[in-house]
Amino acid sequence: MQPRRNNYQSENEVNQQKLLFRGRLYFALGFVIVFFLVLFGRMVYLQWLNYDHYHAMSEGNRISVEALPPVRGKIYDRNNVLLADNQPVFALKFSKDKIDNIDATINLLKKLLPDIPDGKLEKFYNRLKVASKYRPIYLPYSLSESEASIFAANSYQFSGVTLTGKLKRIYPFGPVAVHAIGYVGKINPSELKTLNEAEYQGTDVIGKTGVERTYESVLHGKPGLQQVETNARGKVIRKLETEPATPGKDIQLTIDIRLQKFIEEYLGNKKAAVVVIEPKTGEILAYVSSPGYDPNLFVDGISSKNYSALLHNPYRPLINRVINGQYPPGSTIKPFVALSAIENGVISPHTKISDPGYFDFKNHRYRDWKRGGHGLVDMNKAITESCDTYFYELSLKMGIQMIHDDLYPFGFGHTTGIDLHGESSGILPSKEWKRETKNKPWFKGETIIAAVGQGYFLATPIQLAKAVAIMANRGKIITPHLLKGKDIEPQPQIPIEKISNWEKVIKGMMNVMNSYHGTAYRYARGLPFTMAGKTGTAQVFSLGGEDYDEENIKKTLRDHSLFIGFAPVKKPKIAISVIIENSSVKAAPVAVDIARYYLTQLHKDES
Amino acid sequence: MKIELDVREKVYRRNKGWLESFHLDGWLLGGILLLMLASSMIVYSASSGDAEVLHRHLARDGFAFLLMLLFAQIPPNLMRVYTPWLFLIGTIMLASVLLFGEIGKGARRWLDLGFFRFQPSELMKLVLPLTIAWLFAHDTLPPPNRKMLVGIIIVLFTAGLIIVEPDLGTSILIAMSGLFVIFFAGLSWRLILSAIGVVAASLPIVWHFYMYDYQKQRVMTFLNPESDPLGSGYHIIQSKIAIGSGGLEGKGFMGSTQAHLDFLPESTTDFIFSVLAEEFGLVGVTSLLILYTLIIGRGLYIASQAQDNFARLAASSLVMTLFVYVFVNIGMVSGLLPVVGLPLPLISYGGSSLVTLMISFGILMSIHTHKKLLTS
Repeated sequence: MQPRRNNYQSENEVNQQKLLFRGRLYFALGFVIVFFLVLFGRMVYLQWLNYDHYHAMSEGNRISVEALPPVRGKIYDRNNVLLADNQPVFALKFSKDKIDNIDATINLLKKLLPDIPDGKLEKFYNRLKVASKYRPIYLPYSLSESEASIFAANSYQFSGVTLTGKLKRIYPFGPVAVHAIGYVGKINPSELKTLNEAEYQGTDVIGKTGVERTYESVLHGKPGLQQVETNARGKVIRKLETEPATPGKDIQLTIDIRLQKFIEEYLGNKKAAVVVIEPKTGEILAYVSSPGYDPNLFVDGISSKNYSALLHNPYRPLINRVINGQYPPGSTIKPFVALSAIENGVISPHTKISDPGYFDFKNHRYRDWKRGGHGLVDMNKAITESCDTYFYELSLKMGIQMIHDDLYPFGFGHTTGIDLHGESSGILPSKEWKRETKNKPWFKGETIIAAVGQGYFLATPIQLAKAVAIMANRGKIITPHLLKGKDIEPQPQIPIEKISNWEKVIKGMMNVMNSYHGTAYRYARGLPFTMAGKTGTAQVFSLGGEDYDEENIKKTLRDHSLFIGFAPVKKPKIAISVIIENSSVKAAPVAVDIARYYLTQLHKDES
Repeated sequence: MKIELDVREKVYRRNKGWLESFHLDGWLLGGILLLMLASSMIVYSASSGDAEVLHRHLARDGFAFLLMLLFAQIPPNLMRVYTPWLFLIGTIMLASVLLFGEIGKGARRWLDLGFFRFQPSELMKLVLPLTIAWLFAHDTLPPPNRKMLVGIIIVLFTAGLIIVEPDLGTSILIAMSGLFVIFFAGLSWRLILSAIGVVAASLPIVWHFYMYDYQKQRVMTFLNPESDPLGSGYHIIQSKIAIGSGGLEGKGFMGSTQAHLDFLPESTTDFIFSVLAEEFGLVGVTSLLILYTLIIGRGLYIASQAQDNFARLAASSLVMTLFVYVFVNIGMVSGLLPVVGLPLPLISYGGSSLVTLMISFGILMSIHTHKKLLTS
């Protein structure tokens, strides 16, 4: 098809049409040029006039959100003495995404701040290498004021490293009560996996041990957020919006730091454990695992030299003896066994047996601690003088099951529920226990030594303290705890039918302190208050019937000295358990002096 | 007749180089090849040096180039004859998209023909201006007003079919390609101005009753991108950073940190201009704008030399459509216009829009090289 010729179009019309179309084309061309000039103008505006602005933005000048770490809650003792505080220090914050060259940065820092301990920077370098790009980390080192000013003057050389203020945990009493309070330390990778990372933005420490660990969620608080505008070097130019952090809650402990300090100073460097409980409430007044160590060493990350020294110290200060030291309780369990026996009618308290100084059973001679024996012994005397033979004989009449069942409610063989992590449960032996753990039948001979707290029997100092506190309460079960005002589930009463049986056993324990033949008589003379107690000896080394010669035995193999007790007897204010490893001193006088100090110095108004 | 023939042969011999014997226009061809070269470099850079992306891009360029060659061989008269039929087919396909089309990103735009999928709206970008040009082919310009009205109704009808897909951006662009024809046909300025007035007045109504939330959202973020720096305004802000940080000379080939660090979205397609601006700076941007201006100018020149109404209206409208695409894309990525998903002609990595564009170049070349000797 051919285009139809517009033959009827006049020349004039054709020309007009051409003119019209040309006009529109010129207009279109002008239109195009004007609009392209607009685009060109826009480009000049963006690329020329505002180049600096956009250049800086593309180099990382953008808004970033920083976490504001919460202030950790403080820890006070029962009299509001500060036990764990926060101290403002200078720290270096590393934002990995802003650091150009990690090696150069670390080397420069080493030159600039030579006081940073050896190895710390190397360790940190390795950490930085694998650290997340988006989570700033702190060099675990607190800069002195002069170091801070040196860094500030040279900060232009460090992109991605900023000097910031930080709150550092500090324990003003140092090693005192370290095993109860614990310490905070750097979050390690396995902890990082389990915790809620959002909650720990900007925080690089976490409670590691003690109540710092138990009450981590209370003490930690919630981080806030801050929007900041940073320049290309990661430096904050201005702060935008802030959502403040919620500080952690302060907590108050049941510890009386005066008593705690008194005990620790009294013990010096001895290997020992002491627990003092208020029997009525289960509040722990003193929690001593000796020797201690300085928790402040751990806060910035302990140096390997210091750590190795602690780890290889023969006194093993890192061990929390109160909850993890498992000792044979020895004679300290005798009052509990005696109570079970009279309550079950196995023996009358007045029944006397004859003690020649040994007990023969199946071709084996079980010796009493006293050569020649105690003569005629009733229950009271058996406790007072800690007669072994009486309990040897009694144990066979009772059987291991009865001993187990009646000692269990006092807290033996299971954890006390103290608010600390990793408590050991001790061992309260029974036929069932032996079958399960050793897959062997029970022998009657084992009942005999179990009744005097030897053999398989193991208890922790906190278990002994709990047991004696229950005894002081005449059966009211308590849960020892460190947090003042802790909600504790009400515990049942120990089911004793004859209430007078309590007093019969406690009378024996009083005689330990007050009767001339009592095993602790010589330490307790002249006390201005009544006290009940029981001494004990834990065999570290079985002598297999040979005579025990204290002088000729290696120090670390010597028996441990134990004591449990409470005072005053009628209305007990404290219950105490003491273990002195290798009997460097006797446990009983330690307990007596603690009770004296507490009841006459600290608590004199009420005693 | 003999003399006429002689003259004809003479003219023929004088004008006919080897390009023209293949019905190609050297100016356009040169411009297209330069843009394709630039495009390959930037697509390669924007994809962070992905050779596979470059290969696919070159293959598409090649295919589209062949289509251009093909269409350049078709005489404009033949095109004019087929135009109404193509319009009918296009309308049917648009209707079937609405009925059977595949849903992608919440809108029905694609038609699956079994062996390949395509967007009928792409076809309409070409067919609608040709249809309006066909409508006025035998009139003296300007055509009578009632015919103009028919043209406007056809334009609105076609745009309406696309607007319900929904694809607001494409429907506006297609409507414009049709309206350009009416403009070039000589619609009086008085009517043009009053039409603009009516459209402006009806915008609030369209906003309230005919726009989807995501469309409204786009407009809102366009008006104030910083209101939502990490949300929908993010693209525009990051794009402006890319452009602005290019400065006068740019960061150099493969130097676009905005694209390589993934701050820039759609860096090989809709936002490729930002990569170009970041890497080649104001110098590169200006060169690109000049190149586009030359191509558009050449297109308008071809329109001015065309011999009949169909050819001149089709040519001028296709060229102006190209201009609109360039302007809208660059305006969008530099924050002057709202974000509508629209590629940068001949530079963006992409399929169907490139095909449409190269076909329209083929039509332009055909118009320019299929001229008859006219005595008048």
